[in-house]
Amino acid sequence: MKFNDLLLGILVLLGGIAIYVSALGFTDIPGQAYGAGTMPRAIAIFAGCLGLFMIAKAAIAGTRMPRLELSGWVRSRRSVLSVVVALVLIVFYIVAAPSIGFVPASLVVMAVLMLTLKTRPLTAIAVSVLACVVIQQAFGRLLLVPLPRSEFLEFLW
Amino acid sequence: MSILAEAFGLVLQPYVLLVILASAAFGMFVGAIPGLTATMATALLVPVTFFMDPVPAIAAIVTATAMAIFAGDIPGTLLRMPGTPASAAYVEDAYRMTRSGRAEEALGASLVFSAIGGIFGTIVLVTAAPVLAEVALKFSSFEYFWLVVLGLSCAIFVSPGSVPRGMISLVIGLFAATIGIDNPAGQPRYTFGSVELLAGVQFIPAMIGLFAVSEVLRSVASGADMPAVEKGGRTGVFSRQWGNLKRYPVQALRGSVTGTAIGALPGAGADIAAWISYAISKKFSRQKEKFGTGHVEGLVEAGASNNGAVSGAWIPALVFGIPGDSITAIVIGVLYIKGLNPGPTIFINQPQLIYAVFIVFFLANIIMLPMGWVAIKAARTILSIPARVLMPIILMFCIVGSFAINNSPFGILLMLIFGVVGFLMEENDIPIAPAILGLVLGPMLEQNFVTSMIKADGSFLAFFERPIAAGLGLFTIAIWCIPLVLAALRRRRRASPAGA
Repeated sequence: MKFNDLLLGILVLLGGIAIYVSALGFTDIPGQAYGAGTMPRAIAIFAGCLGLFMIAKAAIAGTRMPRLELSGWVRSRRSVLSVVVALVLIVFYIVAAPSIGFVPASLVVMAVLMLTLKTRPLTAIAVSVLACVVIQQAFGRLLLVPLPRSEFLEFLW
Repeated sequence: MSILAEAFGLVLQPYVLLVILASAAFGMFVGAIPGLTATMATALLVPVTFFMDPVPAIAAIVTATAMAIFAGDIPGTLLRMPGTPASAAYVEDAYRMTRSGRAEEALGASLVFSAIGGIFGTIVLVTAAPVLAEVALKFSSFEYFWLVVLGLSCAIFVSPGSVPRGMISLVIGLFAATIGIDNPAGQPRYTFGSVELLAGVQFIPAMIGLFAVSEVLRSVASGADMPAVEKGGRTGVFSRQWGNLKRYPVQALRGSVTGTAIGALPGAGADIAAWISYAISKKFSRQKEKFGTGHVEGLVEAGASNNGAVSGAWIPALVFGIPGDSITAIVIGVLYIKGLNPGPTIFINQPQLIYAVFIVFFLANIIMLPMGWVAIKAARTILSIPARVLMPIILMFCIVGSFAINNSPFGILLMLIFGVVGFLMEENDIPIAPAILGLVLGPMLEQNFVTSMIKADGSFLAFFERPIAAGLGLFTIAIWCIPLVLAALRRRRRASPAGA
């Protein structure tokens, strides 16, 4: 999805207005004219001016509002599927790792993504297992990061 | 002289040397993993230093930090994923050098000029510590405000692409920095009831998302079919560095000076130093147009700068007990635990210990060269792994790195959100770097702006009343105005022949 300067300017201006309006509800430090809203308001004014500048510049240059311009990869069903799978796998890890543990969850993430990217199944599984054990040992044992544990894989810790 | 001999005696012991070697390897490992910072390396070392004498304890931290800052360049150069924030300023140039088969030259430049910057910073630390610390101590919120604005302005102007798109990136970063309860009124902002968001947007997951996950997504979108790096393009780690030093001696010196001076300012560390030095390098370069396309000049200056800042940060820490950055803040805690109170008296009561610290700094920066060479050679093999195998593993490292910051899945969620944002930004040619700097410096900007406004009773003139603040302010304004004036002059010149 690609936007030209005019559309980006409009989005930035709208964003600035939204930040300004939301910042009106923030309180000041007691007895002062400044507080939680000062910085968001300053950012909003900066964004508003930037949006107006971009709109004016695009208008002077005669930029026409484009229809939605799609990037090359969006036209390939395989590429879209790969991106969606990658995003879904991250969500899967967030949801599943606390209950099933780091090792099975990370194995799924790596193996499924490798298979989606057309790695040979045997290579994908072997590399995923190896990488999983290395990461678990480096972070879980060496750096003492409390990665989610699986009861049946306690021996790894 | 006997004090110096005593200091050498303290350092040149097999146990201390072994600690230095082990810490160097540890710093390399932590710095080279995207998401793990030099600060994290220091924090992880603290429990280990409890069991050590003061000299090996400090040696461990100094060596690991210096090494981690350099090692952050390795994933930045090879995979466009800066290992530490200090490497983010020049990651585009370094990565593009890799894409054109000059990975070893880029990493060699990072290594050699990191060591030069570090050694320069140490020399300053040894000779001019009290004087510089005194200047830095005079800084008030006005000076800090301008320093932050200067850093942010640099981020916009050094970014590749158009200036308005750089500003959009900055707005995104600054807005993300406003999230949370850490603001002058202590009121939750944009948290939407989330307890985790009260602490604000964690920097590391955001950085991993913007830089690393967006890159993984891009690679996945292109079928993980990244162009292979030229195998025959190996230039040698050190072979071109003498030439680079002869070509860019001013840049190396300027980067070292800037880095050391910025590092000495409390709160401003290697990250700001690298950004400002990269901007200065571009500003004064004869080949400005080559910046961001795989040009080594910025690497020379900013690489020297960020390691210079590591040494510089110790100046106020040792002389006045004021941390120069987050790492020295931890170090001050370690010094107190060891019964050593940092401050002017330490120079009088235990001079041999201070000299030992100085010797350790020199050793750390010298040992960086062989250790860095080994790390570069080992890391180079990463590129022989196909992207379709490498990218899922990197994604897993990103997930674990984001989790490790607070040991919470919320970090992974932040990484995911910023990964998608970064991916969309890159699709629209919006540079990522200003967003990162906005996120890092946003809280500092807000704190110093509000404090200054309260002190000045709303008068903007007060921002120019103190001499250093006025100097920094005028310099910042000039950075914004000069390009506009030059553009206007150019337009006028172009218009005048037509009118004649």
